[in-house]
Amino acid sequence: MKPFTFSNRVLGAAVGVLAVGYLYLAFTLEEFTAVSVPVQPATLPKWLGAVLLVLAAVLFFQKDDADEEEDSGEPSGTGSDSDQTGGGAPARPAAARPALGRLTDPRKELALFAASIGLYIALLEPLGFLISTTAYIAAATWYLGYRRHWANALVAVGVSAVLYFAMSDFLRVALPTGPLPF
Amino acid sequence: METLQQMGAGFGVAFTPENLLFVFIGVLAGTVIGILPGLGPMSAIALMIPIAFGMDPTTAIIMLAGVYYGAIFGGSTSSILLNAPGVAGTVATSFDGYPMARKGAAGKALAIAAIASFTGGTIGVVLLMLIAPALSSFAVSFGPADYFALMVLGLTAVVTLGGRNITKGLIAAVAGVMVSLVGIDSQTATLRFTFGMPELYEGVKFLIVALGLFALAEVFSMLARRGAGGADGAMSSLRLNRRELGRIAGPTGRGSILGFFTGVLPGAGATVASFLSYSMEKRIAKDGDTFGSGNPKGVAAPEAGNNAAAVGSFVPMLTLGVPGSGTTAILLGALLVLGVTPGPMMLSDRPEMFWGLVASMYVGNIVLLVLNLPLIPLFAKVLKTPRAVLIPLVVVFCVVGVYGLSFSVFDLWLMLGFGVVGYLMRQNGFPAAPMILGLILGSMMERSMRQALQISYGDWTTFVTSPYSAALLGLTVVVLVWPLVKRLRKGAPATAAGAPAEGAEKEDTTTTP
Amino acid sequence: MFRARPVAAAAALASLALAATACGTGGGQQEDGGPWKPDRPIEIIAPAATGGGWDTLARTSGRVLEEGGLVDEPVQVVNKPGGGGSIGWAYVAQTPDTPTRLFVTSPPISLVPLMGGSTYDHEDFTPIARLATENMVYLVPEDSPIESWGDMVDRLKEDPRQVSIAGGSSPGSMDHVALAGAVEAAGIDPTAINYVPFDGGGEAMTQAVGGHVDAVVTGGSEAAGLVESGDLRPLAVSGAERASTLPDTPTLREEGVDFTYDIWRGVMGPPDMTDEQVAYYEDLFTDMTEEESWKKQTEALGWTDSFMRSEEFGDFLDQSSTDSAAILMKIGLIEDEEGR
Repeated sequence: MKPFTFSNRVLGAAVGVLAVGYLYLAFTLEEFTAVSVPVQPATLPKWLGAVLLVLAAVLFFQKDDADEEEDSGEPSGTGSDSDQTGGGAPARPAAARPALGRLTDPRKELALFAASIGLYIALLEPLGFLISTTAYIAAATWYLGYRRHWANALVAVGVSAVLYFAMSDFLRVALPTGPLPF
Repeated sequence: METLQQMGAGFGVAFTPENLLFVFIGVLAGTVIGILPGLGPMSAIALMIPIAFGMDPTTAIIMLAGVYYGAIFGGSTSSILLNAPGVAGTVATSFDGYPMARKGAAGKALAIAAIASFTGGTIGVVLLMLIAPALSSFAVSFGPADYFALMVLGLTAVVTLGGRNITKGLIAAVAGVMVSLVGIDSQTATLRFTFGMPELYEGVKFLIVALGLFALAEVFSMLARRGAGGADGAMSSLRLNRRELGRIAGPTGRGSILGFFTGVLPGAGATVASFLSYSMEKRIAKDGDTFGSGNPKGVAAPEAGNNAAAVGSFVPMLTLGVPGSGTTAILLGALLVLGVTPGPMMLSDRPEMFWGLVASMYVGNIVLLVLNLPLIPLFAKVLKTPRAVLIPLVVVFCVVGVYGLSFSVFDLWLMLGFGVVGYLMRQNGFPAAPMILGLILGSMMERSMRQALQISYGDWTTFVTSPYSAALLGLTVVVLVWPLVKRLRKGAPATAAGAPAEGAEKEDTTTTP
Repeated sequence: MFRARPVAAAAALASLALAATACGTGGGQQEDGGPWKPDRPIEIIAPAATGGGWDTLARTSGRVLEEGGLVDEPVQVVNKPGGGGSIGWAYVAQTPDTPTRLFVTSPPISLVPLMGGSTYDHEDFTPIARLATENMVYLVPEDSPIESWGDMVDRLKEDPRQVSIAGGSSPGSMDHVALAGAVEAAGIDPTAINYVPFDGGGEAMTQAVGGHVDAVVTGGSEAAGLVESGDLRPLAVSGAERASTLPDTPTLREEGVDFTYDIWRGVMGPPDMTDEQVAYYEDLFTDMTEEESWKKQTEALGWTDSFMRSEEFGDFLDQSSTDSAAILMKIGLIEDEEGR
């Protein structure tokens, strides 16, 4: 159950396309001639594009490594899944917790979640920070399956109000006001 | 002797009840501000300046020093708890801090961060007091060629951070350097890869990429896992036993020294220090292969490194009047507004101010430890928040952090984009760390390389004729070749040997209540 | 971390109370101030992130205006960073009907559009007041064989490669223009000089102290500390008069070079402001520059008071923009006076 996971062949091809596009842009960069410079602005990008293309080719012909996904994510701080539970946390069975979200297909669920963030971003300035944030927290929390609706409302209103007033009044960092008078 | 007396006087100033109160307020405010991803020490100080204005200069400086320390610690907190490194210096902390938190050892990770920060800060301040004047010549002795070599050495960390599939690690690093080149080229004022969008002229900000690749991608994964796995609120004690303290002593000490000297170099700063400390420890530790999955040493080393570097960055400011980092630049501005001119004359003209500042940095460090150790259990409880509530809140924090820095909806879209990319990378085994490293070091490396060549009129030997540069490049070669040599000698993968035993030890320490 | 919020909330409340009292004392003074008065909070846009030079100017002005009780409405500082200022400028230019939205500005308002970084230039805005200026200064390390400005010019004439000169910003920006203009006026081809851009004046000066470059050009106040300590030796300042912070350093004119360059700082507003609105702000900023706290701060920052009212400021902007275009053309960075 790993959504959005592709073979090295597909990944290599994708990175290759990216490298070719980047190289094209690098070669369209103008030479800087006004003042003599030893290294042109396009020099490093050209090298980078070439290196990326080579790496893409290497990846393309690499065999898929079965357990690779699990391990290589780790050093980036992603941590491994519960298979490596350090002793401190008694491993609670996942089923005991209410599952997040409502759709069965995780890919659709992720797309919906990303879209919800997009909607929040799009409405941030028109509606102002207070309204959009309250609505986003409340809606997302409800959708993800939190059932204590009063607590949800309290958190949504409280968090956005505290953040808003702390930022705009205490720190003088102006967040979008929207139609509200303050 | 005279120095000691003046130092004593400095502490006398710092320890008046009023000043202690303000250092306390500063540390608290700094921690709270620093926890918001995006509002790092730099913004925290900028935002507190209006409040400091009008105070007695000494008190104001003491408060701002507190804000500085508090904000650095606050940054580590969000890095460890939410995988949301808001400041470049705390990225390396999240590599092992967040896995520790997910395994239920959040309190322990925070305590290690606090202790390592304190130690790094203390060692930094002591070195600052003892050898600051001598260090100013070290700070100016680094030319562009030497910075280039330092950045190259920093980039070799890709090899240690790159995960199992080195091809994918390298691709991520190259992509990171590519992102770092977006914007107006500082050497020729040419626009590169901006697609005509003015929003990209100043480049892609570190924060946007970091929050996307780390925090948002983590939120996506959390959702895809349906909340399974990871920290579920069960907490191990934050108490560290003697053995654990013993294990982190070495990394903390080495990180502090390395960090301080890196911090002294203007422009290199806390980020390079934390990455260098982290990858050095991973290399020399017997249990190096458990770095990245919650090894306490992986928290201690970068934390000690970035705090010592923060102190180190005061050296160019105090001895030359030149800011060593973005944060000290703000602090310098604040000091000027308060009527204090830091610089070469400060020590002779206004010794009480110099020593007062040094003493207040030290006091700020202590207050930070005293204030935060009791707060750690509270901070760690964040992870007890039900997932359905935590996920939207993390999103909101990221949005506030980015918007509060750039006030731009465009940057929010960019962050969401990096979040999606980060998730896809993660699903397909591309590590995010090399990409961040490439992003941070890439443009700096290109810039110093071109500056060096500009000065030498295109003569590449400039990189080997400077002793620092030659030494650093030599070290780079050793770092890259050494694992191969080791492998050839043993005739087997280098890590195979001591790994199981060390792994068992790790299990043991995390269970210790 | 969520536990810490009550503290922030309490602090926010406390500061709200403070702000309320601060506003309360502000009334009265403006009653006879003129026919037009702002009817909502005054926004001062800093077209840069928190902490930079523009941000400092905006926040300093805002604070002096409020604390001095010069305004009835609160003053908000809004940061619009990006594009070297162009994001903030576009923001102001697109709201001609908001006379309460001002922005702080300095030479990049002419340089950035010339270099092709912004579609709006100073002519798209209403000049309100020039507040202060600062000298540029040309320096060498203390042990440098270069003895004076004239000496440096001679060496540059002999072989421009002999002298590498550091600056704190990219080609076509303030430091570079101040240098290129000066050497051009001294009869040297400005395209031949070896200008090495660094990230900020501080970095550039450090490189000079360390002997990695032969000379450096930067803002006068920034260099004061290293001059006083003897690490750097100033050759000349770029202003029409000597700088108060560097009284012993000759101006370029005194050194026989007919060139002046000031880093000026001022305030501008959106396009199409009425005369009454301009008059109101002119008086407001005149009062501000007379405040004791303003004087104290500008002195600390090394700025010289050089107030100009709207019309004079407008003429000054036209002139300095033409001058900059001429220099950029000579360096070959732009093709004609319209920029690139």
